[in-house]
Amino acid sequence: MTNLHTKMKHKIAQMEILGLAIVVVLMLVAAIFVIRFSVFKEPADYRKGFVSSELASNMINAFLKTTAQDCSQLTMTELLQDCAQAQSIRCRGETPACSYVQAAAGSIFEKTLNKWNMRYEFKAYVDMDRPLIRLGEACRAEKKSRIFPIPISGATMQAKLDICG
Amino acid sequence: MKKSQIQIGETIAVLFVFFILVAVGFIFYAMVIKGNIGSEQDEASQLRAIGIAQRAMFLPELQCSKDVITEETDCIDILKLKTAEVLMKQRQNEIYYYDMFEFSEINITQIYPQITGLDKSQWTIYSRKRQNSPKFITNIPVSLYDSITKTYRFGILSVETFSK
Repeated sequence: MTNLHTKMKHKIAQMEILGLAIVVVLMLVAAIFVIRFSVFKEPADYRKGFVSSELASNMINAFLKTTAQDCSQLTMTELLQDCAQAQSIRCRGETPACSYVQAAAGSIFEKTLNKWNMRYEFKAYVDMDRPLIRLGEACRAEKKSRIFPIPISGATMQAKLDICG
Repeated sequence: MKKSQIQIGETIAVLFVFFILVAVGFIFYAMVIKGNIGSEQDEASQLRAIGIAQRAMFLPELQCSKDVITEETDCIDILKLKTAEVLMKQRQNEIYYYDMFEFSEINITQIYPQITGLDKSQWTIYSRKRQNSPKFITNIPVSLYDSITKTYRFGILSVETFSK
């Protein structure tokens, strides 16, 4: 009888220890979760939205307004208009307007967006499926997009810049 | 050992474990609070950086204008820029511009066309740096207008803001 009583007491003690162990394990798991999500959380970038949207609109505005070097004081917008229509302008004597704008845009984006490790896609087109100028790669996820319409005879040309992220 | 002595020992052990748990909880709570304060400070610094960048973008001392009226945004007059570079560094104007730009550095760099020879391609209009302090760099593309040749160049307005 006494033996049975002692055995019962041991069993109850073992169950209490097991209960305590489970509580400790649960508390540890909760603590790990809290540490993971509150203490070591990634710092939020509040400037990201402002920077990408300002960057996309200012970049395309400033680029289209820029005067081409050694090309009869024409702006990039005027060169794009020629690229979409007559293709009669030759910069530095031989370079067609399309190639000139592509090279100038490439040089500017190389020194800015590429240098800052920002992915982008720049397109100038009348028909979206056949762009006259294309630089960078299409964004796969979130992007800030700016479209600048350029009037040409009988249609409208679009200059579009997407900044990824 | 008497039964009462054992019970006192047990109570002391329980209290010891309890206080250790309280201490661990307090340290953990302090860490969380510290993290929250850090992220709030970071948010305030980032918002201040945006404010300073916007003030620099719309600075009348630099903006292109015609007959004293601001003609277009995102445009900097190179002639004004050369004057502002000197004006903004003058001792009597220091406090006025410090109220506006706090601890920051504002640079304007010409990107296209590429400068050759002795022409200047970078202007620092304001510089008040802070050592060993985290900084945010905001780059804004702008047009640089040359009112002599009546041409536009492509430039970058770079605002480096130092946290308090």
